[in-house]
Amino acid sequence: MSETKIKMFIDGKECVGVKGDTILEVAKKNDITSIPTLCWMKGLTSIGACRMCVVEPEGGGRMLTACTSPAEEGLRISTATERLVAYRRQVLELLFAGRNHFCMFCSQSGDCELQTLAIEHGMDSVRYPYLYAPFENDTTDARIQADHNRCILCQRCVRTCSEKVGACTLGMKKRGWSMTIEADFGSTIGQSDTCVGCGACAQACPTGTITLRDLVYRGRRKDCDAVVDTVCPICSMGCSIKAYVRTGSIVRVEGTNLEGPDGGQLCAEGRFSLPHSSERPRVVRPMIRTGSTFREASWEEALELVGSKLKATRKSGKTGALISSLATDEELAAFAGFRDAAGIRTSAYSDDSLRGFREGVEPFVKQGVRPFTAAHNILKADRVILVEADPQKILPIAASYVRVAVLHRGAELVHVGKNATPFPGITDLEAQTLQDSKVEEKLRCAQKPVFILGPSVLSSALAVTKVLNFAIEHRAFFEDGIGVVPLLGESNVLGAMNALGDQGGWLEEEQDFLYVYSTGLVPESAKALNAMSRSGFTAIQTPFLTPPLSNLADVLLPAPAWFEREGHFFTLEGERRTLSKIMDPDPGQKGFTEILQTICEKAGVKMTDSSAAPFENVFSSKISADLAKQVQVREV
Amino acid sequence: MTKPKVASVWLEACAGCHMSFLDMDERLVDLFSRVEITATPISDIKVIPEVTVGVIEGGLGNEEELHIAKDLREKCKILIAWGDCAVFGGINCMRNFIKPEDMLREAYTDTASTVNPTGVLPHVDIPALLPEAIPVDRAVKVDVYVPGCPPDADTIAYVFNEILEGRIPKVPSPMMRYD
Repeated sequence: MSETKIKMFIDGKECVGVKGDTILEVAKKNDITSIPTLCWMKGLTSIGACRMCVVEPEGGGRMLTACTSPAEEGLRISTATERLVAYRRQVLELLFAGRNHFCMFCSQSGDCELQTLAIEHGMDSVRYPYLYAPFENDTTDARIQADHNRCILCQRCVRTCSEKVGACTLGMKKRGWSMTIEADFGSTIGQSDTCVGCGACAQACPTGTITLRDLVYRGRRKDCDAVVDTVCPICSMGCSIKAYVRTGSIVRVEGTNLEGPDGGQLCAEGRFSLPHSSERPRVVRPMIRTGSTFREASWEEALELVGSKLKATRKSGKTGALISSLATDEELAAFAGFRDAAGIRTSAYSDDSLRGFREGVEPFVKQGVRPFTAAHNILKADRVILVEADPQKILPIAASYVRVAVLHRGAELVHVGKNATPFPGITDLEAQTLQDSKVEEKLRCAQKPVFILGPSVLSSALAVTKVLNFAIEHRAFFEDGIGVVPLLGESNVLGAMNALGDQGGWLEEEQDFLYVYSTGLVPESAKALNAMSRSGFTAIQTPFLTPPLSNLADVLLPAPAWFEREGHFFTLEGERRTLSKIMDPDPGQKGFTEILQTICEKAGVKMTDSSAAPFENVFSSKISADLAKQVQVREV
Repeated sequence: MTKPKVASVWLEACAGCHMSFLDMDERLVDLFSRVEITATPISDIKVIPEVTVGVIEGGLGNEEELHIAKDLREKCKILIAWGDCAVFGGINCMRNFIKPEDMLREAYTDTASTVNPTGVLPHVDIPALLPEAIPVDRAVKVDVYVPGCPPDADTIAYVFNEILEGRIPKVPSPMMRYD
């Protein structure tokens, strides 16, 4: 669609925008910062509720809210006249008089947009009598609390919960000055059936109405020592986050992709567990087992022991190495080099679903087509088919996409599987199998169906191939690949598939030697833990002292935590994202590659420098998705 | 020329603003060379004379405080309200959510930690409560507002310096705080 350029003047400056922009959008594109906002937020629908962004035509005239007024060719706008500033200050005074704001003991003081604007507008007193109406607090949720005394009725939380998360939990009740936010038409946040506990409403709140208990009095944003842009390392969505560091702890993480498909969301796991991870007990020194306990050792001694064990067992064919799927591409590349040098068998933790998925997509990869699509394309689908999938449990942001697609974009939701649908109330059809005639009926007129595959499907190569055939039959094609979203939960599982290939299955056998690299962010599977406990010798490198993992080691090696590492992840959002270092590791910490090289040296083999497998293997397709062809499947 | 006179009163507040005033430290020596301090909690003189500058710390919660505020307004040319309690009402206003008699009953008889078997409430010997605690400008005209809890010593010094230069100041935004 071609964009019509328009030219207008803001405070005498010529500004260029496009038809359809609002005055505020044009001002922002042209770096004009004199229009204050309060209820406006990037990525949300504008509603003009707070009246802070009023502007007026040059020479006077009717005031316009800049966030909702369309920009027009030749329009001449003033943004900071005496009249406008007085009006804005009046609005601020009324907001203070209408509710009970006690800045002197508010936990948000200094981090509150209302307070900041009031100070900027020179509000040194309030002309209007205070109402002193009593408002309740909602403390029913363990993590999220609401103090309605601080509410300015901007509805950012309502719009975020509806337009981004899709839960539609929050709404407004009562009228006039008595209006308050509520959950589920008369319930509370903690009692809500629809709330997914992601905390996006608290991030959106400009005052301190909705806050996260964990953040109260832990420091204002501006008091933090460092603010780092990075990605959430927990799941394969790879959400962009900003991490706030204060006195050696991560005190807060916030989603940053406000204009992107996820709208700056984080799931509950990302928002609440990442800050706590910087306070977990660490493995700080190499440790060697002595009977039922450990003793501290030097790196030299520990690596000597690991290397000599590897040397002794290398030719037995019973050596293995496990790596977390939360490892970066760079770590996976080093790991692949270790495998090649030592003749060791390697696997990522998530091998089960990896293997089935990898084998199942192989016939399509050979055609040169990409056998899955970016998760955010769920938002563009007109039919969403869950195949034994519960996205809320595995990829909560993908679940948000499903809800938003259904509730705001008119998509129809089909659930295929034995269990009940994970989206009651918004599911259009439940069926036992894809071959059900009702599913066929739903897909007959579909322009853009997308299939979301759950773990039980992904673990079966046959099932994966069948679903892909089905998707091709129904022309589930997107710009970047076939309309299939695999719910691969761990963060760099695609990178692990790319770097390590398929070497699964050996984990069930007894091993003489096992090397484990854990990131400590997700629990190990029972299968992996069993392998460690049965192995003749186990070396475990992990950042955190976490039983039972750290108890299974014969040699325990420190590793940098997620906030001390940097590298790249492949994400299900269809791009490679960068994990940034947030804090420096302990000076005594050794790098992953260095450790592996030293072990190989002690074992008498040479580890060559290895480069990562090309990322085009994961994200590029040689031909357009709509040229994909179904393949023969052999039933066993 | 005679030095301008200053009086200040400590009304419904914690004296934190006067502590902040004392935090001016050595600048007080210079200030005292230019003004004459009369009735203040610091000098412990309570009779308010005619002054150039009057300062009120704290909100108004009872009849006596209201009387003092009006008296000071009558006797001064420039009235300064110090601190969130005087400017916005502050923490005292939390009692405004319930009636004064309910508040007194809660405080003097109903709280678990109170031992008051005969249920004695303050009455004739204590100034009567106003129906609501209010900021100062609800009762008298205020010329200069200094918000903050407490305001910074720098802000207090700025205000006095401006007045001594003959200007009626407004606290600039970079200096203003509410907490």
